Amino acid sequence: MNKKEFLAGLLKDKLGSDFLGQEVSSDHRLFVDIEKEALLPAVKLILEQGGRYQVGISYDDRKNHQSFALIHTLAFDRDGLLVALRAFAPGNNPEFDSITPVVPGAGWSEREYHDLLGLNFKGHPNPKRLVLSDDWPEGIYPLRQDVPHDLMPPSAEEVAFRLEQAPPGTSVIPFGPFHSSLHEPAHFSVYVDGEDIKGCEYRGFMTHRGIEKLGQTELTYNDVPFVAERICGICGSVHSTNYAQAVEAAAGLKIPQRAEFIRVVILELERLHSHLLWLGVAGHLIGFDTVFMQAWRIREKIMWLAESLTGNRKTYGLIIIGGVRRNITKEKAEDIRRVLQEVEKETLTLEKAIIKDKTIHKRTRGVGYLSKEDAIKWNLVGPVARARGLDIDVRRDHPYAAYDELKFDVPVAETGDVWGTLVVRLKEIYEAIKIIRQCLDKLAILPENEPLALELEGPIPAGKQGLSVVEAPRGEAVHYVLTGEENRPERWRVRAPTYPNLQAVPDMLLNNKLADFPIIVGSIDPCISCTDRVMVVELRERRVRIVARQELEKISRKMRLGR
Amino acid sequence: MKIVAVFINLVFFLLLAPFLEGVMRKITARVQSRQGPPLYQPYLDLLKLLRKENLVSAENWAFRLAPLLAFASMLAAVAILPLHGQENILSHEADLMTLIYLLTLSGFSVLIGALSSGNPFGSVGASREMMTIIMLEPVLAMTIILGAVRNGTMSLPGALQGVASTESFSYFLMLAVYLLALQAFVSRQPFDIPEAEVEILEGPYIEYSGPNYALFRYTLNIKRTFYAWLLAGGFLSFLRPANLFLDLLLQTALIILLFGLISVVGATHPRFRIDQAIKYYALLIVLSLLAVGLGVSGL
Amino acid sequence: MWLWNKIKQLAISWKSGVVTLRYPFEPRPAPAGFRGQPIWDHTKCIGCAGCANHCPARTIFLRDICQEIRILLYDSSRCTYCGRCADLCPEKAITMGDHYELATENRPDITQTIELFMMTCQRCGRCYDLEIKNSLDKLHTLGYRYDSLEVGKVSRQNTAEFSPDLLEKTKTYERPKQLEK
Repeated sequence: MNKKEFLAGLLKDKLGSDFLGQEVSSDHRLFVDIEKEALLPAVKLILEQGGRYQVGISYDDRKNHQSFALIHTLAFDRDGLLVALRAFAPGNNPEFDSITPVVPGAGWSEREYHDLLGLNFKGHPNPKRLVLSDDWPEGIYPLRQDVPHDLMPPSAEEVAFRLEQAPPGTSVIPFGPFHSSLHEPAHFSVYVDGEDIKGCEYRGFMTHRGIEKLGQTELTYNDVPFVAERICGICGSVHSTNYAQAVEAAAGLKIPQRAEFIRVVILELERLHSHLLWLGVAGHLIGFDTVFMQAWRIREKIMWLAESLTGNRKTYGLIIIGGVRRNITKEKAEDIRRVLQEVEKETLTLEKAIIKDKTIHKRTRGVGYLSKEDAIKWNLVGPVARARGLDIDVRRDHPYAAYDELKFDVPVAETGDVWGTLVVRLKEIYEAIKIIRQCLDKLAILPENEPLALELEGPIPAGKQGLSVVEAPRGEAVHYVLTGEENRPERWRVRAPTYPNLQAVPDMLLNNKLADFPIIVGSIDPCISCTDRVMVVELRERRVRIVARQELEKISRKMRLGR
Repeated sequence: MKIVAVFINLVFFLLLAPFLEGVMRKITARVQSRQGPPLYQPYLDLLKLLRKENLVSAENWAFRLAPLLAFASMLAAVAILPLHGQENILSHEADLMTLIYLLTLSGFSVLIGALSSGNPFGSVGASREMMTIIMLEPVLAMTIILGAVRNGTMSLPGALQGVASTESFSYFLMLAVYLLALQAFVSRQPFDIPEAEVEILEGPYIEYSGPNYALFRYTLNIKRTFYAWLLAGGFLSFLRPANLFLDLLLQTALIILLFGLISVVGATHPRFRIDQAIKYYALLIVLSLLAVGLGVSGL
Repeated sequence: MWLWNKIKQLAISWKSGVVTLRYPFEPRPAPAGFRGQPIWDHTKCIGCAGCANHCPARTIFLRDICQEIRILLYDSSRCTYCGRCADLCPEKAITMGDHYELATENRPDITQTIELFMMTCQRCGRCYDLEIKNSLDKLHTLGYRYDSLEVGKVSRQNTAEFSPDLLEKTKTYERPKQLEK
């Protein structure tokens, strides 16, 4: 009996009449419908079996069932199984039991749906506003279907997020919303005692672009990959591939083998450039700009390679549903091999020059420490988790595209600090090179004129669920698609790797020095734009208000001394 | 001649200081495989800053006064330096205590400016700057005092000549300590802790802009030049040629060489944390005290 | 050990040399296959609206202004250069150019307009009916930020299902006053 049947049986046994049904799906996905009262016990049950919480997904289903749906997904990494528990709450009283007390990592998902769909979560420890801007009117829930995607409520002034009081004996240093160590807008209110960090509060989601809502209301299936790619400036292909896989899973499509390998090549090229980018940024954040420049010099070769392969440096635009758009020919493959060899050699030189540098050890060892237990508690993913001894990698555990035919190692470090992250990321560069070489070997065997994309036969059926995971350079990204009418998804949910990792940052910061703040936050490689992707088209009126200089100074003064 | 010497000092430092920053930026850029800005870029930067509007973000006199005080005291400090080993017209009014005092005053002006701005990053920067001053000023003082002890005089030309007396063991110890401290004196990596761009956004200078900031920049440039000069005109003054012009040329060359070294060290190190730096400074203080002790006992 | 590491780091810089380009002064041509500005070949275009229907950014607009004339308008200010239009064009009338320095103060610089003379159907006398709600009209009514490419600005409109009293609520909504200290 495989794990899927075992879990389904277990849930059926323990929940009894609360178990409503099970959707037919592949061996690696288990979609279960349960009563909403049974959600918390079911999540507990699955956690006891060794499940890892991924994300909460919710959507407005009042059109079909007069209810709101809430899905919790959990992963069994050893068994390659993803479990999705779906429950419905009536449309006039959308209330669920909060699972945050059991799974702290679910806190953000629940706060998000409180903001966006007006769901209430009984027993949530910190039901503050998370996603919506502070001046968004109460009672309007932008992800509900009756709210248009381009709703623009008038903006308000003099509304601010209610930050917590600093604990006694500490003062507040505001990192953000704009700070040179945060490359995107986010606000960390850091409580310091002298130079020691005693706590911090995070307020983010300042760059909502309403991408999910857009995908559900305006775009068609094949438009979304190009928009999904713009969720993130670094791991764009991850999101478009992930979305395409989710749709393909929901529609039951099997893409051509050649397209699978091309997808892997692109994903691994992206990982290469992202890891080198991060290595550089990490150097910059500890004040070592030479590492920054040299790592980026090596990275530039990959960017140019990607440009000649796909037509652009970053937004590759290669993925469509059912396959890819461009081929990797023999000549292109030779180019890739040549660049890979250079990159491998130069990365090795750089690694040798910095790996034993005592001054770098001084700034990274023991910094941002989190134990393995905490890493599990916060459901960390990616190199951040692997640096803390968690041996998880979606590419190996839940193989997608062509990863099941490739051989590679998953580097794991036990130090639990920034240094571990650095080592893991450095080693992954060589693994990525190894993977691409294997793919090129395979591509050379496959017939070159094989079609690159499936021709879709008829429309994609509505109401099917698709769940896909992809190992982005930063960790596991999750996409959920519920297919809908009118050639577009009914619900498309994106969970970027930063989403769980960022929730653990306050714990990582605790009792470190203020000077280490940039590298600790930088160590998870926070992608604010991934995390904030969602939701609401937050178009403020472009009202120009002319502020006299003195007034402006006064305002800034007031804000600074206000707290 | 004694009056002209003062002006030669001022012109020498005012002209050379931005150029040296240019050298530093060029070499740093080279280590980072970049083109880097042209050597005269810092002059343009200063001119641009000076032409900008002066944004005063704190409504108190200390904030306005701080850059002026910092710049003025730094100018005064370089004005009283002996030129070509000779005393100038100010030498009677100013001895080595005056020099130490003026340098400290310049450092404290930065602190005053940072604290009066009320910016939280400024305060963190100021507290780091304060620790740095407290730990580093003794090293500088010991260097000059060692010279004074050797020559038995408090006058600047005498003391600086004393610094260069190579026949003793304490000279070499002090030279080593000074070289080890140089990176911190000029606040480059790994010791640019008070400014630390990615952590506290230039710390003490965060609220300054336009001409006020230009003055601080200029002060910092002259300060760096001074510390490099102290090596060329102090420790190595036994190399001094007889001709004044040749002397200035040699000093310039030595200073540029030193800046090259500073840039290379700066470009190959990450920034230390303040607690790590303090330990290093403490070691330097102990060593410099040891050197003075040796000097007093004639070694 | 410390010194050896530093020498290794300096050696990397020494070997690689200066790699940055004097970019705006020296041009950097894009490689073959680069997806730059799309260019329409008006002699090949048949006005099928395939590009307009599949543009993910909705930057291509098609409209019949009279019986014979069909206008194609491309506004690159929102274009993502995905090249989807070029892929789908049945007549290969669109090529992705290699031009990428497109910043301008003047929007017409990056806008392309094609006037196409259409034939009329011999049987019914018309080829395209403006009155019927079809996907081309939808392109006009739905959209993103500035919905109407025709007027080039934001049109604040709402989808049909949205209840008017909810919108009313947003207008009259009492904002929270400034937070108490």
